[in-house]
Amino acid sequence: MNRKVLYVDQGKCTGCRMCEQWCSLTHFGVINPAKARIRIVRDHFEQVDSSFYCHQCEDAPCINACPPKINALSRDEKTGAVEVDQEKCIGCRRCQKACVHGAIRMHPSEKYVLICDLCGGDPQCLKHCPEKAIQYKEPDEIHDSIPDTIAEQEVKRA
Amino acid sequence: MPERITQAGQVLRINLSTQTTCVEPISPEILSDYLGGRGLGAYYLYREVGPEIDAFSPDNKLIFFNGSLVGSLIPGANKVNVTFKSPLTNTYSYSLCGGHWGPELKFAGYDGVIIEGRAEKPVYIRIENENVEIRTADHLWGQFMKEADLAIKQELENDDDFQIALIGPAGENLSRIACITVGGHREFGRGGAGAVMGSKNLKAIAIRGTQDLMVADTAGMQKLSERLCTALRAHPKGQVRREYGTVEMVEGINTRGYWSTRNFTQGFFEDGYKLEAQQMKDAIVVGSSSCYACPVACGKRSLVKSEKYGEILIEGPEFETISLIGANCGVSDWESIVKATEICDNYGMDTMSAGGCVALAMECFERGIITLQDTGGIELRFGNGQSLVKVLELIGKRKGIGNVLSDGVKVAAEKFGAPELAVHSKGLSFAAYDPRGAKGMALTYATSPKGAHHMVATTMAQENTEGNRFETRGKGKMQRDQQISMCTVDSLGLCATMRIAMPFTNQAEAFEIVRGIEMDEATLKKAAERIINLERMYNVRLGLSRKDDTLPKRFLEEPLPDGESKGQTVDLKVMLDDFYATMGWDINGKPTREKLTELGLQQIENREVVWFVKTGNRDS
Repeated sequence: MNRKVLYVDQGKCTGCRMCEQWCSLTHFGVINPAKARIRIVRDHFEQVDSSFYCHQCEDAPCINACPPKINALSRDEKTGAVEVDQEKCIGCRRCQKACVHGAIRMHPSEKYVLICDLCGGDPQCLKHCPEKAIQYKEPDEIHDSIPDTIAEQEVKRA
Repeated sequence: MPERITQAGQVLRINLSTQTTCVEPISPEILSDYLGGRGLGAYYLYREVGPEIDAFSPDNKLIFFNGSLVGSLIPGANKVNVTFKSPLTNTYSYSLCGGHWGPELKFAGYDGVIIEGRAEKPVYIRIENENVEIRTADHLWGQFMKEADLAIKQELENDDDFQIALIGPAGENLSRIACITVGGHREFGRGGAGAVMGSKNLKAIAIRGTQDLMVADTAGMQKLSERLCTALRAHPKGQVRREYGTVEMVEGINTRGYWSTRNFTQGFFEDGYKLEAQQMKDAIVVGSSSCYACPVACGKRSLVKSEKYGEILIEGPEFETISLIGANCGVSDWESIVKATEICDNYGMDTMSAGGCVALAMECFERGIITLQDTGGIELRFGNGQSLVKVLELIGKRKGIGNVLSDGVKVAAEKFGAPELAVHSKGLSFAAYDPRGAKGMALTYATSPKGAHHMVATTMAQENTEGNRFETRGKGKMQRDQQISMCTVDSLGLCATMRIAMPFTNQAEAFEIVRGIEMDEATLKKAAERIINLERMYNVRLGLSRKDDTLPKRFLEEPLPDGESKGQTVDLKVMLDDFYATMGWDINGKPTREKLTELGLQQIENREVVWFVKTGNRDS
């Protein structure tokens, strides 16, 4: 499968969060960073803007963590993105806990999780990133750039 | 075009004395007439904080309002304003802040939050959408910005999505130059809002919002945003700001010889070349930091590894800080400037006013007005970076000479017995621009409702472009135009830099698109004029008049001694006459009845606190 995944070059990200705006606009027609599937968190003392987004892992621990009875997560054949079936998802957060990238969040008011769907293969966040920090790459081109401490913290919180 | 739904918004009111909160709607008419942000601040402060109320009284208020475009896709729409009676000037005051706190307030469902009363003991406020909680802050009182910020985060279960506005020890000890800090390094800087917050025993306001931002015309907003982002990125000013931040201005102002140098005894700083943008970039800059929804990212992150001070990592220093902590104190080494900035950040002090205070003390020391005995043994000479750092610590702690300086330059100079050496208007110390080298700035400093702040009217840019900076003629109109220009962006919540790509027509368009309320250039400017006149009337009600629209003798009588502005002084009288006439104000600087009537403000003369305005298009 010749699929591509998102990659955020942390060195380029300045934390403007326009990606969050476009993400929530694209999926929900509103601006609401809490509904964005990409998330930028600034540590203003370490002076780092960390990004949390789905890396579309090959082994997809999130899909494996979803209880078989629920079976809300699957792989989109066209894009390779993890897909959430909103009807099936019960918001048990098992996938969130399984995700090592801190990329899964709960919808702020509904009972289902939000995972990046690559906008069907045309990611809008990337299109509107003023810093060109967000890229669309083959999985083996990317190197994980999230500082371990922050990633761990996110995983812990989840 | 699809049908637009008016988005008028609401304000959260929190009374710390009674520990009660309520939510009040904002009517579309008021939003249209006062726009938001700074405009709504003027509207509420005039109505609710009368002339008899002391700045540190529980009855003073901190009136936070987002600009009306904040949270939207419009680039640079992230500015939140706080309006309050200033303990530094005892006049009307307001201050704007970028970053991410304002947008979070908007996503929590509020355009503004009004803080009134005084808590019995230290508290902080936690706002998560409709849930408002007042929590004890006993354990946070006295903590530096970073420690308190991290401690609150922890109490909020390490939810990184909370945005926190805080005061430091300076605000707690009622330093009149204390600021309110957001995200560690962005401030409501000038006028002493931090001290007002301290007087209310309020350490912090932490906000988390998960609500949809309602926009009247989403598709229109997307299109406008894309257009403006492209224009901003293509604009030469946008590009140079991206590259260097506001520090790009150092070279121009020093070359032209009107840079705040050694308490404004000079206009040219001979070591200034060391502080130019490229030097800074090469020496200390490690990255860029953006406010919410801004494609410019003028915030520069700096790292200094110093033998004297250790390793320091901050956002900044920006142009005004470099000017007033650097040039104004004769200091040109990055180590000391960055360390000084860090101290101001830790204690929560306005770097501009703090720099002004230290420069005053340095001049007094060099003239023998104060001695080693007064300074506690500190050799407080211009150019001594270590002394600068020591004195700033003392100001933050209100110890020794710092105790005097923490009340601002006016009070300090009076106590030193040298009031003429305080560089201020109405008690607020100057920004970086010496008005002798850009005469329009004399009117800005003298007539601003909050004292000598440059962002009330940035005439210097226009004067540089037009090549008429020494001219006195024509500056009344320029001042009026620039005040209106700043007032619209301050009220819409746009960063002033956005003006390079967003003329009034775009601003009006954005207001219509986001708020669903009809707006055009004329109505927008009229609203700005209304806001400026209302701010003016607030000070008139306090008894201020022409006599208060003044500058220190230095600028009126002492010619600049060197540099490209050598020999210049300010002829303020002529310019004031010109400006008042242009504004429709009488010879004493009071808005005339005709002007107030034109703006729908006629009722305020009768001290009626509630009025309603119908003007512009909606009249016909």
